[in-house]
Amino acid sequence: MTSNSENILEIETIEVVYDGVIAALHDVSLNVPRGSVVALLGGNGAGKSTTLKSISTMLASERGKVVTGKIIYDGFEVKNQRPAEMVSMGLVQVLEGRRCFGHLTVEENIIAGAYSRKLSKAEIGDELEKIYSYFNRLKDLRKKQSGFTSGGEQQMIAVARAMMAKPKMLLLDEPSMGLAPQLVSEVFNIVKKLNQSEGVSILLAEQNTNIALRNADYGYIIETGHVMLHGKADSLLTNDKVKELYLGISKQGRKNFRDVLRQESEQHPDLHMQLGQTENTTSH
Amino acid sequence: MTEILFFIEVVVAGLLAGTMYSLVALGFVLIYKASATFNFAQGAMVFFAVLSFVGFMELGLPFIGAFFVTILLMGLVGFCTERLVLEPLLNESEDTVLMATIGLGFVLEGLAQAAWGVEVRRLDLGIGDFPIQWIIDSTGLFISALDLTAGVVAAGLILGLSLLFRYTKMGLGLRAVADDAGAASSIGIPLNNIMLMVWTAAGVVALVAGMMWGARAGVQFALVDLALKALPVLIIGGFSSIPGAIVAGLIIGASEKVLEVYIGPYFGGGIEGWAPYVLAIFFLLWRPEGLFGEKIIRRV
Repeated sequence: MTSNSENILEIETIEVVYDGVIAALHDVSLNVPRGSVVALLGGNGAGKSTTLKSISTMLASERGKVVTGKIIYDGFEVKNQRPAEMVSMGLVQVLEGRRCFGHLTVEENIIAGAYSRKLSKAEIGDELEKIYSYFNRLKDLRKKQSGFTSGGEQQMIAVARAMMAKPKMLLLDEPSMGLAPQLVSEVFNIVKKLNQSEGVSILLAEQNTNIALRNADYGYIIETGHVMLHGKADSLLTNDKVKELYLGISKQGRKNFRDVLRQESEQHPDLHMQLGQTENTTSH
Repeated sequence: MTEILFFIEVVVAGLLAGTMYSLVALGFVLIYKASATFNFAQGAMVFFAVLSFVGFMELGLPFIGAFFVTILLMGLVGFCTERLVLEPLLNESEDTVLMATIGLGFVLEGLAQAAWGVEVRRLDLGIGDFPIQWIIDSTGLFISALDLTAGVVAAGLILGLSLLFRYTKMGLGLRAVADDAGAASSIGIPLNNIMLMVWTAAGVVALVAGMMWGARAGVQFALVDLALKALPVLIIGGFSSIPGAIVAGLIIGASEKVLEVYIGPYFGGGIEGWAPYVLAIFFLLWRPEGLFGEKIIRRV
């Protein structure tokens, strides 16, 4: 079943089209070495989610299709499988926005993650205990309806649920979305721990470049469906271009997006800055 | 004293008739839970199932044999529905699926009549639609044996299904799909198996409901429309709640009988037909998600 290749995932120049006409990815190539954490970075609409969904085959349910290129997961070509087949091959995606089963209890949510495995009641109990050892917080909430838990807790439920499938590889889509900074680092700590102790490989799509790179081994930056830049996570973290564009830090110190825009509009008089104008108009 | 006795009789008869509404509503709830769609074909499924059952009996199968063959047939209907209708429409909107169920209804009505003919059949379950003597002797109440049987069968079926959904793996899968089909599929719950299970279960419920209705009113095309009686039940109980379907069925059954007997004369009688809908409208104003409908969870 397992291939000897050192990469658990290899994507070769895939192009993805939605609805037969809308191109979302143009030429995305990336590798995920076994047991590593790889970050996929980029802004809104860059194609992060699309990339993850083409791997998990969730794309088909959104009328998307990989038209060219190849995806090799664990030595097998990903083509026309159903998400359930990918899960039984050990590849699980944690969807953007957590997507807990709101009317199910926290524990039922997690147990549902083991659906693809044939486990006895006792084995499920053992697995649950193991999961709770990573997600201490969820143990106290086990009987609570998951719809009434906090955003951070729901993110943990979603990751815990995915881990119940005993994945070799997790695809995480924006785990930091809408969470307070403290919770973001709590979630990332757990993810990192799962990676190290369970040996699960992780491909992580994030807009929060900073925290993603600090927890990853390697990073890819994509924009409008193209890979723009990739490299080791620490070299990306110290790269000036990445710093300026994605971390808001330039050589002159910290900068916010408004300052960059203001600078641009000063250099190019034909460009107008909407923010500055509204400030002026409010004064008269 | 006889006044009170009569009132109890009316209410009990209504409650027992209500279990039949519950049964039909249950079929709708099952499918609504899995596909978030109102299954317009449910009435046709009731008709198709019971007509096939009677047809198999006429072919010489014994009661039990015909029952199980029909269950297999409903499983086949579920399978074909999943493969030919739901699977190709998997990524379409709920409205599209809704329209498809209307079409499916016509197909089933046509198939049933093409296979078994159009005349009204009698269905004899061996249970008469007349009062049970020992109940009259002990309490003085006139309770129809058929009503009582229907009530017991419906209660059993409902209990069985509730346990199935609460405590089995398939049930957990169904509840997960009901909450978020996309997320369910992302963790490896096979949507097509869940759909197949749900449609087969809805088929079995349709068969039992059809047998109870058919024994009383004859196996005929009107059963299709009778199934729409489930609509006010669903509005009151909530589209996605099994307990809701039960309680609302009982409420509708009892209240329509009581209203008919005590208020009906002021309207010249026959209010049984529309009183449940008026009740449903009041419920819509008061509790749009239904008595037991799953509340939309909003965190604040």
